[in-house]
Order: sequence, then C-alpha cells, then structure tokens
Amino acid sequence: MERIIEKGLLVNTLVPALVLFGIAFMMVVIAYGMESVVHGVHDMFHDFRHVIGMPCH
Amino acid sequence: MAINLSCWKKNIFLCILAGVVWGWVAMAVNNLTGVSPLEMGLAHNLITFSMAGAVFGLVAGGVLTIVEKRLPTRSVVLKAAGVSASIWLLLRSAGVVLSMLQPVRYHVSTPESVQGFALALFLGCILGVLWKRGLSAVTE
Repeated sequence: MERIIEKGLLVNTLVPALVLFGIAFMMVVIAYGMESVVHGVHDMFHDFRHVIGMPCH
Repeated sequence: MAINLSCWKKNIFLCILAGVVWGWVAMAVNNLTGVSPLEMGLAHNLITFSMAGAVFGLVAGGVLTIVEKRLPTRSVVLKAAGVSASIWLLLRSAGVVLSMLQPVRYHVSTPESVQGFALALFLGCILGVLWKRGLSAVTE
C-alpha cells in the first residue's frame, strides 16, 4: 500500500512539478535571451522579447 | 500538495493553444501599435512567437492549475489574467534588476513594457476563456 501511495505521489506531484519547473526555466531563458544556456536564443527570440516588454539591448 | 494529473493533462492542449494564439495576437498588436519595429521576417516570427507563446501559455496554465482553488475570485478568466500578469510582473521585476546590473545589455523601454503588460493580461483572458470552455465541455 505504501508503494501505491509513493507511486501516486510521484506521478501526481513530483513529475508535473518538475515538468512545470523545466518549462518555467525555458520561459526565463527566452525572456532574457540567455545565450549562456542556449546558444542562439537571444537572436531567435529577439523580436518576441521586445514585443512583450522584456529588457533587451 | 498533490496535483490532479487528469486535469493537468486535459488542460495542456488548451494552454498551448492559448499561448500560440496569444503569440500571433502579440505580433498583430505590435504591428498595429508600432512600439517595437520587428527585425526578423514574418515566417521566422510566426514560428518563434508560436513557440514562445506556447511556453508562456504552458507556464501560466501550470501555475493556474496549482493556485486556481486558492484564488479569491470565482471567475476563471480573472484568475488566469491575474496569474499571467503576475508572471509577467515577476519577469519584468527581475529584468529591472538585470538592467541595473548590466545597463548596456538589458535596456528597459516603457512603451514596450506597457504593451507587454497588456498582452500578459490578454494571455490570461484567452487562457481563461479556453479553460472555462474546455472544462465545461468535459463536464457536460
């Protein structure tokens, strides 16, 4: 029974939380154009960043 | 706190859809206002705005899933708009700090910020409307 509860907890809480954290990190990388994380992301999303009002050069 | 996985899965598509539509609307609004002249071509921007919009939609939807029942208002649209605007404000606040640390690298523009905040509210509205319709369609 403990195993079932642990598995349920893992699937229902940990996995979605990690997925959301990963996507939120992607959002931050896009929003600030963090070249040190993903090469080329600054130029790729340059227009988007300006349109949504995020600071850029 | 456990997240309702079935609800989560059900709303992923809605979040992506809302985000992609929002990305295209953001492009159209910017073309109308002329706040930020776009440097890339239409095809490039259609792809990047769709991708970035989907990411923003997923984050807004994910946070909405977690905090939906804790927010004081009953309207899903208001809740989604509040969540979306809060995420934007958080990002923008960190951007202000970055611009203070590196003024040349991170330059702040007020007209772009006003447009961005309005667009963030609009993302919440799209997400809220789709969320409401999606949930009502499932419960019917």
